Amino acid sequence: MSAAAQSSADALSATFAALADPTRRAILARLASGECSVSELAEPFSMSMPAVSKHLRLLERAGLIVQRRDAQRRPCRIEAAPLKQVSEWAEHYRHIWEERLDRLDAYLEQLTTKEKSHGRQQRSKPR
Amino acid sequence: MVVSNAVNRASFQVSTPSDEEIRMTRLFNAPPELVFEVMSKPEHVKQWWGQLGEGYSVPVCEIDLRIGGKWRFVNRHPKGEVCFYGEYREINPPGRLVFTEIFEQFPDAVSVVTAELQREGTQTRFIATVKYPSREVRDIVIGSGMERGAAASYDQLESLLGRLQ
Repeated sequence: MSAAAQSSADALSATFAALADPTRRAILARLASGECSVSELAEPFSMSMPAVSKHLRLLERAGLIVQRRDAQRRPCRIEAAPLKQVSEWAEHYRHIWEERLDRLDAYLEQLTTKEKSHGRQQRSKPR
Repeated sequence: MVVSNAVNRASFQVSTPSDEEIRMTRLFNAPPELVFEVMSKPEHVKQWWGQLGEGYSVPVCEIDLRIGGKWRFVNRHPKGEVCFYGEYREINPPGRLVFTEIFEQFPDAVSVVTAELQREGTQTRFIATVKYPSREVRDIVIGSGMERGAAASYDQLESLLGRLQ
């Protein structure tokens, strides 16, 4: 495996691990609507600040958020690049599979129609 | 656990048989023999696999249909190419084909696809079970919109990912 492919795979694994937790996904969803302070993020989850900070550190390590050093506030914002990478990957398995099967269906339809009008030898010779 | 969002795709269903798997089923108006052939011969695969609109093509389609044999498909699109490859693990025409599938950009994420073809009169029920490396990976795939009505956090992630695309 090339170094670039290796680091891309590692990055994907880190992103998957960070996203595997519902609290962290909810934090990301909250950050998607704009920058928030740590205490603003802690509010909706009945959770201690250290517990929230732990989630934030994990998200930061995965490159999913960036935390600014702004005195007490330490505002966080979302980083789109790794999510976009995951999204591209997942996209393949979602509608590409569905589309693929639709195209297979259409192709089979084409073949069987041809077969009915020209006989079985057409089967392994698509135009 | 069922998704079908278009009339002509009404037979398409998605379910999650285990923590690491996603199962997709679909009916085809052809016997299993033909479906198997169309899935496993390059001259056929080139005609349906990959996105095939304007500016799309399948310039590489290699199939070595033996246990341990490799396959490699390239889909050319207007902005470049995407490559998928893998290896055949079980070959039992016309009922069953098992292979690994890797998206070249993410070589560590190996999924195993089990394709089962069941005869139903003159039709074939196609059942593809995709096993992902972990529950996390599978959940991300589902969370990206594969399964509607999932937990609220998934819905949020889905809309988030949708906005970022």
